[in-house]
Amino acid sequence: MSAPTRAPSAEAWATAFTDASNTDPEIQAHGKYFTCSYLLDATERTYVIQVESGKVTHVTVDPGPLDVAYQFAIRASAETWRGFGEETPAAMFHGIWAASFQRDMKLEGDLLILMQNLRCITRQVELLRVVGSPV
Amino acid sequence: MSNSKISPVTGHYVTVDVDGLQYKVFYLENGTGQPILCQHTAGCHNHQWRGLLEDEEITANYRVIAYDLPRHGKSDPPENTEWWKEEYQLSAEHYSNFIIALADALELEDPIFMGSSFGGNVALQLALRRPDRFAGVLSVEGADYSPGFYLDWWQHPHANAAQVCASGTWDLMAPQSPEADRWKTWFYYTQGSEAFKGDLHFYSVDHDLRGKLGDIDGEKCPVVMMTGEYDYLTTPEDSERTANAITNGSFIYMPAIGHFPMSENHPVFRTYLIQALELLQEKREKKAANA
Repeated sequence: MSAPTRAPSAEAWATAFTDASNTDPEIQAHGKYFTCSYLLDATERTYVIQVESGKVTHVTVDPGPLDVAYQFAIRASAETWRGFGEETPAAMFHGIWAASFQRDMKLEGDLLILMQNLRCITRQVELLRVVGSPV
Repeated sequence: MSNSKISPVTGHYVTVDVDGLQYKVFYLENGTGQPILCQHTAGCHNHQWRGLLEDEEITANYRVIAYDLPRHGKSDPPENTEWWKEEYQLSAEHYSNFIIALADALELEDPIFMGSSFGGNVALQLALRRPDRFAGVLSVEGADYSPGFYLDWWQHPHANAAQVCASGTWDLMAPQSPEADRWKTWFYYTQGSEAFKGDLHFYSVDHDLRGKLGDIDGEKCPVVMMTGEYDYLTTPEDSERTANAITNGSFIYMPAIGHFPMSENHPVFRTYLIQALELLQEKREKKAANA
């Protein structure tokens, strides 16, 4: 992966994330049934990411309380997400399982949907190493 | 002319009788010298040791034997029971007895036992139960207690178990490890979902040596523990704490590697393994000098 490009704003991050996911060879090769919506909660910023058949169709930045439905949530402090945005993340900032077991990340909501899409979600989260931190 | 090369690694089956069960066990081996008996991680198989099995420097001095635990890889479930009518839940007792029976079946003299993750934990069980049978144990990514991974997700009927097991263990590896080796490890994990959860019954439930580490005779059977920086399940702190509570125990911290070190990055792992083998040798010489 190339060095992380820091997104200048939340909207620019959402665009960069969408582009990275929608052109990622792995997600595009294996995401035929990758359809779900989830909340990426970075405390200072939130995003609802909607995916259909392997393509990110919409990212809602800082949605209001009842604006957008989502199936599960990945929540962590801004500091934790910033760790995910490093090109080579430090230990325990290197994945949602690691950060849930050893840091402040919380996986909430319908976790079955997360498990059904685990491979592609794992890859999407790793794309933060290229796209940069969402916060 | 062909560029093909036949590996010096050979495969064999051996029958093992233990606890009233009969197993036909597959193992790979290469090298000559003191045996190192290698246990793969939960839900996986012996290809995790592929780098070590072909490591010319180590196999020049050691006989490396990497087996598939029954129900993994090419080792079938028991031959003499209707195993499909029971839930598989591996116990510390049976797991330890099996490894001792395998060492006996192969007539191994002074073997070193090395296992990773649930193999690292059983290494401690072996040192506790049969310090007379092993020249020493290398507990890789092990600890006295490792709760939290006996999860229903590994076998949930509404999710693709192969993918959940493989991607659910992906974060156990370090981002610095070569991508191709991490993907091989992922690929192995797609193959073992039926055994994975039952293995984790040992790893997260039945294995609990809290308060018992002082009973390990580390003079008779030296223990060296080695854990990678990126292991979120048994962290380096967990292993160090465990090693410190064992008489004659040692701990080697492995930076920039994870929970499957021999499989995700053998070239890095081997540098620590050589240190660990030297440490065992020193402890052995000290023991001989004191005898």
